[in-house]
Amino acid sequence: MPLVVTDAIVLHAFDYSETSRILRLATREAGVLSVLARGARRSKKRFGSALDLFAEGTIEVLVRDQRDLQTLCAFDVTHSRPTLASDLGRFAGASALAELILRFATDERQVSLFDALSRSLDELALAPPDETREVTLAGAWRLVGELGFAPSLDSCSACHADLAIADTLPFSHAAGGVLCANCARLHPSGRTLPAAERARLGAWMADERTGKMSDPDSRAHQRLLREFLREHLAQDRALRAFEMWEHAPWSRA
Amino acid sequence: MSAIDDLATELAKLPGIGRKTALRLTYHLLKQPPEQSKRLATVLAELSDRVHRCSVCFNLTEADPCGICRDGRRDRTVICVVEEASDIGAIERAGEFRGVYHVLGGRLSPLDGVGPDDLTIRQLTERIQSDEIREVIVATNPSLEGEATALFVQRQVAPLGAAVTRIARGIPIGGDLEYADGVTIAQALSARRAM
Repeated sequence: MPLVVTDAIVLHAFDYSETSRILRLATREAGVLSVLARGARRSKKRFGSALDLFAEGTIEVLVRDQRDLQTLCAFDVTHSRPTLASDLGRFAGASALAELILRFATDERQVSLFDALSRSLDELALAPPDETREVTLAGAWRLVGELGFAPSLDSCSACHADLAIADTLPFSHAAGGVLCANCARLHPSGRTLPAAERARLGAWMADERTGKMSDPDSRAHQRLLREFLREHLAQDRALRAFEMWEHAPWSRA
Repeated sequence: MSAIDDLATELAKLPGIGRKTALRLTYHLLKQPPEQSKRLATVLAELSDRVHRCSVCFNLTEADPCGICRDGRRDRTVICVVEEASDIGAIERAGEFRGVYHVLGGRLSPLDGVGPDDLTIRQLTERIQSDEIREVIVATNPSLEGEATALFVQRQVAPLGAAVTRIARGIPIGGDLEYADGVTIAQALSARRAM
């Protein structure tokens, strides 16, 4: 039974039996893992505060092939992110990012996806309360890109013709990005993307910080992201945390 | 499906009980005198008939209001807010708190689809508005979800005029600094108090 040692972030945790917890982890070397932390509820000696949501550290896991639930031997926390609970917008945003990974990442090695998640959670943990929506959007698009679904923003997603930076363009979820005028006639699209918002989306994908947005603009970006996820990733299963982040007024209380 | 399978399937739905243990329990019951199984069945059937949520604090109780809400010696101006009814037992065992309780019925957890409407936060604010409440102690668990829930409760309760306090966190009694993890020590330092 091989022992895997890798960096990990706690994305979901729930109680199992009287004394144990099951964790779902994003890991650098083994993708998303479900692990059993035996005795974690009874004693803090073995895992300490490591088992809290969004904590990051180095894990030791006994991995058995053909098993969905692996055994967590140790979790040495390197940093926790308590400030994600000090603002409800941060908390809702972090939950939405965690859901994206839990739902769409695989159990294969995905170093850049892990790093993008870690960076996005760190940025959200430090985000001003009135900018958590923008920071979550940036993180979510970054993860979408790392998952292999980055939208085409500089060239037509159908014919690959280069497009002018200053143009407002139709955005087709089905085609996977912006369209030129010719292709737009063949791919009816429900959205248009103004040049400034296309640049903002490009900046998010390129890991660049952007400033605060107006409420209607950030809401429009939430809709765009939701529709894109539904088209390419979510199929018919609801994204509960994502919906709460988008619709729940409590997260901005 | 046989009666054995039926019972094992139902037992396996309980937390911490897998299919193997469920079958072991089923065969154990079959080895007992029939009266014992019947007594267990009767107790289980009566459980859901007799135990309800207290209409005031949402504690689990056979009488409504519950014993704590009915107790005239308790300080009704102080409410301790907990996630689950089982948390009340833990606080009562400490013997330090003489106020009353409010059970939220969980904690905010977007990943599990649990939002404020799934908790009894609205009932808590109604209680504060209708009674003379001096202090609300938020005793949700010191986890990230518990902290977010505490923050939400604070945002809802503070405008109503009651003082909102949070239970302390840090090094446990009898603990050893050398073996405490960094997060716990950081929390203990940030929540230090004057002596």
